[in-house]
Amino acid sequence: MHNGDSTKIKAAILREVYEDNLRIADPRLQPTAGRCRQGIKKISRPIPLLFLFFICLVFYFFAGTGQHHDQEAADSVAIQPVFPWAEIIYKQQQFPPSASVSFDANRLLNYDLLLNQNNIRLSAIFGLGVQTIVIDPGHGGKDPGAIGSNGTREKDIVLDIALHLRDRLQKTGKYNVLLTRDNDTFISLADRVKFANTHHADLFISLHINALPQKEFNVTETYYFGPPSDMHTMRLAEQENRGSEIMTGDFKDMIKKIGNVLKEQESATLAATIQHNLFSNMKKYDRVIADNGIKIAPFVVLLGVNAPSVLVEISCISKREEETNLNNPEYRQKIMASLQEGITGYLSQRQTQVVKGETNGKKIHDKNS
Amino acid sequence: MAKKSTTKTVDKNLLVGIDLGTSRSAIAADNGKKKWVESYVGWPRDFIARKVVGKEMLFGEEAVKHRLSLDMYRPLKNGVIKEGTARDEEAVKELIRHLITLVQDDKETDKIRAVVGVPAESFKVNKVALKKAVAEFAESLFVVSEPFAVAYGVGALDNALVIDIGAGTVDFCIMHGTVPAEEDQRTVLTAGDYIDQQLFTFLEERYPEADFNLNMIRRFKEQHSFVGEAKKEVEVEIPVEGKSTVHNITDEIKRACESILPAIVESTLELIAKFDPEYQDAIRENIILAGGGSQIRGLADYLETTIGEYGPTKVRMVDDPLFSGADGALELAREMPEDYWTEL
Repeated sequence: MHNGDSTKIKAAILREVYEDNLRIADPRLQPTAGRCRQGIKKISRPIPLLFLFFICLVFYFFAGTGQHHDQEAADSVAIQPVFPWAEIIYKQQQFPPSASVSFDANRLLNYDLLLNQNNIRLSAIFGLGVQTIVIDPGHGGKDPGAIGSNGTREKDIVLDIALHLRDRLQKTGKYNVLLTRDNDTFISLADRVKFANTHHADLFISLHINALPQKEFNVTETYYFGPPSDMHTMRLAEQENRGSEIMTGDFKDMIKKIGNVLKEQESATLAATIQHNLFSNMKKYDRVIADNGIKIAPFVVLLGVNAPSVLVEISCISKREEETNLNNPEYRQKIMASLQEGITGYLSQRQTQVVKGETNGKKIHDKNS
Repeated sequence: MAKKSTTKTVDKNLLVGIDLGTSRSAIAADNGKKKWVESYVGWPRDFIARKVVGKEMLFGEEAVKHRLSLDMYRPLKNGVIKEGTARDEEAVKELIRHLITLVQDDKETDKIRAVVGVPAESFKVNKVALKKAVAEFAESLFVVSEPFAVAYGVGALDNALVIDIGAGTVDFCIMHGTVPAEEDQRTVLTAGDYIDQQLFTFLEERYPEADFNLNMIRRFKEQHSFVGEAKKEVEVEIPVEGKSTVHNITDEIKRACESILPAIVESTLELIAKFDPEYQDAIRENIILAGGGSQIRGLADYLETTIGEYGPTKVRMVDDPLFSGADGALELAREMPEDYWTEL
């Protein structure tokens, strides 16, 4: 690099740093004309109106589509209104009191408050409930799945676990629990996805058993779909450049993104609770079982299902001792119990948490009111 | 490198570059002083604790040492100020105040001009809060993202990729002659702390009778971390029922360190692939590792080989990972034109 080049680049960079920081200091400030980063535009409009419009649309989406139990959704939204969230945004943005003051559209339509601020949990903000749980025992029929050295087949084990898990969850009386298969039949991945979506699943849990070439290993892991990079791209997308030309089409796009974030947030949390419960249980029986934790992978079943979805690899049938264990109904009972604990644990925290990892949503509300 | 001398220090301006890290924070000042502390802030739990530690507030190593008597805060855990936790905000503030006093010659007359590098993630989320936190102590200041500060400091302004492996996050940032936009940056959450957790779990599994804590784990990691082939067996002393005993942790260290590799490689490839195809080769040949994690033995070689499958690759490490962020920030401060400072 020539010295002259480098000086020029540096001068430009320093200028940008300066402008960035000017904006931080006062969000209403516009970057110097001509120097402004592409797409940052200003509008002067009756702000509350636009704002309300945005809220209504988002609300409409969540209450109207994607949820089959409109009534329930509407009810819970009524209890936990959209307004705390509106308030959060309002307060955090500190809009100028007068609507006639011009400012950065960017700020107003900062739906990255919803997307980018990954500690706000959408399900709680919108008061979304869970009614239908779809459990998906892997493989079946002509596809036996993994096979242990004594001939135990994955498809049989996961079916048995799924059947009992359904009964257990059903007994609570709170959920409608469906199985993608309740006997030994082959179902394609696409059909499993279709099943979950047509039955309007609120949660989708796919059960599998692993087999590893290293026969001495035993591993428990839980997957959810959503490459972090995609999440990132999504979060970043367009957050800078929302200007005055907001179209309905953009809103739809944005709402879809909110839906994706919701799915990812919930899938990750569900995966975490299941994995935690399952692993701490499995460890009692196999001291050397490895906790592979939560993994992110593009499994077809997880991608296609609209609801938050996870795939659990319970353990490894390739390890001889584990295979013996899996054939023991009592052992399977323990697995079911820990899966159930994981699921209910997740469901019980779901309604109360606005802030991921924090105690409850009240905090945010109090702080802002 | 302050040849440009657009900013003269005649009016007793003290220029400082601060690197606010998840695990360690460093400061470099243009009076030549450089300091770092562990990013811990601790307040005595009660009046007895206050009496024991003899201070209102403790920082860094001292805080870690007295942790049993303190409410400990690691304010930028996971790379962001935790939402709504006033104590964390205060901790950030105190940490900055502490850093500045470490390098200040004269508290009365020194006017502080600061450039603060913060984790990329918190730069996006908390920049206003961070700015407020520093504003009290500085006459004028700029906040920038940390990997950018590193890049500026090592002169990697054009066609370069900085991978900053910290405790809470690994930050990626492509430089192409401008301040990196958000799409030129990535953050991955499996970083140094994750290695600690993994190592902890692995050791717990292998040596259930051994008695260790996360601090020791972190020390083991810092002394022995490596990826790839083990040059020598790693043996450490861990007490068993009170008796110091030698344990071999070679495999565990390796597994723990390697657990962060897939995400790093994936993000690197992806970030490069998304970039203008004409410059992809140039960027691949100018990868810079920074942050504590860059010290992992064998890491640069590993990345060179793995990413090398996509084309010639060159990976280098910054000379001083502990201060590269602060130095870069100071460099920015030095070269920042005078009127930018005063206008802000």
